[in-house]
Amino acid sequence: MRPQPANQISRKGLKVWRLYGIIQTSILTLLAIGFGVLIYINDWSTWLYLAAAAVIIIDSYVSIYLIPKIRWMRWRYEVRESEIELQHGLFIVKRTLIPMVRVQHVDTSQGPILKKYGLAVITISTAATNHSIPALEMEEADELRNRISILARVAEDDV
Amino acid sequence: MSEQRYRLHWVTAIIEILKALKEAILPLIVVFFANGRREGDTGLWYIDYLSIIITGSLLIILSVSGVIKWLRFQYWFEDNELRIESGLFVRKKRYIPFERIQSLDYTEGIFHRPFKLVKVSVETAGSSSLKKSEGELTAITKEAASQIERHMTEAKRKRKQPISDDSLNGEPLLEEALEAVEEKAVKVFSLSSKDLFILATTSGGIGVILSGVAIFLSQFGDLIPYEWMFEEFSSIIKFGALIVGLAAFAGLVGVWILSVIMTFFSYYAFTVTLEEEDIIITRGLLEKKRVTVPLKRVQSVSVIQNPLRQPFGYASVSIHSAGGGVGDGAKINLFPLIKKKRVQERLEAIFPDYLFEEPLTKLPPRGKPFFYRIDFLWMLPVIGALTYFFFPYGLLSLLIIPVIIALGQWQYRSSAYTIHDNQLTMRFRGISLQTAYMTRRRIQSLEMKQSYFNKRKQVASIVASAKSGMGQHRGHIHFMDEAEAERILTWYEKRSTRKATSSFQLADESLEVE
Repeated sequence: MRPQPANQISRKGLKVWRLYGIIQTSILTLLAIGFGVLIYINDWSTWLYLAAAAVIIIDSYVSIYLIPKIRWMRWRYEVRESEIELQHGLFIVKRTLIPMVRVQHVDTSQGPILKKYGLAVITISTAATNHSIPALEMEEADELRNRISILARVAEDDV
Repeated sequence: MSEQRYRLHWVTAIIEILKALKEAILPLIVVFFANGRREGDTGLWYIDYLSIIITGSLLIILSVSGVIKWLRFQYWFEDNELRIESGLFVRKKRYIPFERIQSLDYTEGIFHRPFKLVKVSVETAGSSSLKKSEGELTAITKEAASQIERHMTEAKRKRKQPISDDSLNGEPLLEEALEAVEEKAVKVFSLSSKDLFILATTSGGIGVILSGVAIFLSQFGDLIPYEWMFEEFSSIIKFGALIVGLAAFAGLVGVWILSVIMTFFSYYAFTVTLEEEDIIITRGLLEKKRVTVPLKRVQSVSVIQNPLRQPFGYASVSIHSAGGGVGDGAKINLFPLIKKKRVQERLEAIFPDYLFEEPLTKLPPRGKPFFYRIDFLWMLPVIGALTYFFFPYGLLSLLIIPVIIALGQWQYRSSAYTIHDNQLTMRFRGISLQTAYMTRRRIQSLEMKQSYFNKRKQVASIVASAKSGMGQHRGHIHFMDEAEAERILTWYEKRSTRKATSSFQLADESLEVE
């Protein structure tokens, strides 16, 4: 058995994903309220109220609690001298190997929510593929970006 | 320093005008019909003839702009660069260093032929735009084209020189000099007329044309009198289903014949030659095309057998190049049709670093169910719905289950892989069988995928991505032994470790090949 990659992403990433889940659920709740009004106006079966409520409860459990937790637990990365290894996935666990010599460039980026939590996304591009690590502490992301770009400089452009 | 500036041949103006017309034809037709059908006389001449006026002035504008575009377009050579200046209102200058040019591709259309002209597309390493090549010279004489080529080889040779001076022993220099002397072209492949016929008749172009027809219908949907057609149609139905069937069949045959003719025209006289470090592909009857692919730009090689050709022992070979855009430019048909048993010998003549053997390691039987199990996720609801809504006949949809299972079995049996030195060979089937040959240094990233159920059965999938133009070409093996998948990861990792630390990469590489 191959060992798992060593590092986990920031604990705050979990919070951010929960926040995304909350946003998603609130949108769904608004839709459900609209639906509820429709039920009221058109005098549809009262069971539909229950169905809508059930959908919201299940969705909030899944998208606020369950999915972020599994995703966070699964997400691992390791930057070694000669390659980057990533592991992620919800149902299907994906392990990706990117040799340093194949790295073309590294980016960090952050949206408003990530910025509030002091997190950043790091994106590693090869000639053909893009890979990103979704939530790293900003200093860590910057440091990692610099380290990767130094390590990748050994690469010879042969495409 | 004023260098001599060259202009394109005047045919360019005509080609430009026709191209602009082709783009403007749809709006023109709309204008024409929208206006032309109006009845009665308004008494104002400019309204009555509005459509003609619009069309006429548009034609004049297009012609004038075509001519001006031609007049404004100039190219010249300066400082080892190909410099192009163009533009109608906005003047564009583009300088392309010769050493950056990867290849020059030639196209001879029907307008080029009478004047012995070619269209030259300049391909560079980072051709950034998706549709067009870096530079395009619409029509120049063949002599002018070979002049550009001379400039290019000269510039490249100059660049090579200092590198070989640096090398420790004089050998590389000598080798290069030798190479330059025996600049010869070896013909590696040509399509015989019998093969061309088979290719045309079994080509998948049918689908393309059908979708083309669909697009056409959707574009002209408003203009076609459907109601009238429906009436006709219902009277046809009275004639009986047989005639409808026959008409549909005749339509399909017509489409097929069209596709045969098109394939015939575009693959006529298909020849592959090997010239120094370049693969040169020429083809076409009405429009002759000549594409150059530098060998070192080839990222992966695939042998593809579709189910129609496989029983007759035919295959096609395509290569993925780092240049070109998305899709068409990057995937190049190297051998459109070839007997399977001759693929290996022919390919090894072109790519000596690769080993073109069939992969040997098959998949463990415990992974077999995964090939069709996932399909039940969509099959069951579909079958359920069909059965519910169309009760007795909907049950026929159950027949899809054995079909999907058979396909899964077929995919399972077709899958195989081999690691040989620094090459990963993967054979897999969607519907067509594909054998992908990738070397370690061309694989950009490698991924191992495993679901919870896969893990319980100790199987995993491997996906290898190589560069193909702006996109990627992926080879995969699904549901292989978990330990083997990890072995492939380790194989990929080991080599790159050494690669990063060794500074004499090329020497290392050549040792490895032996």
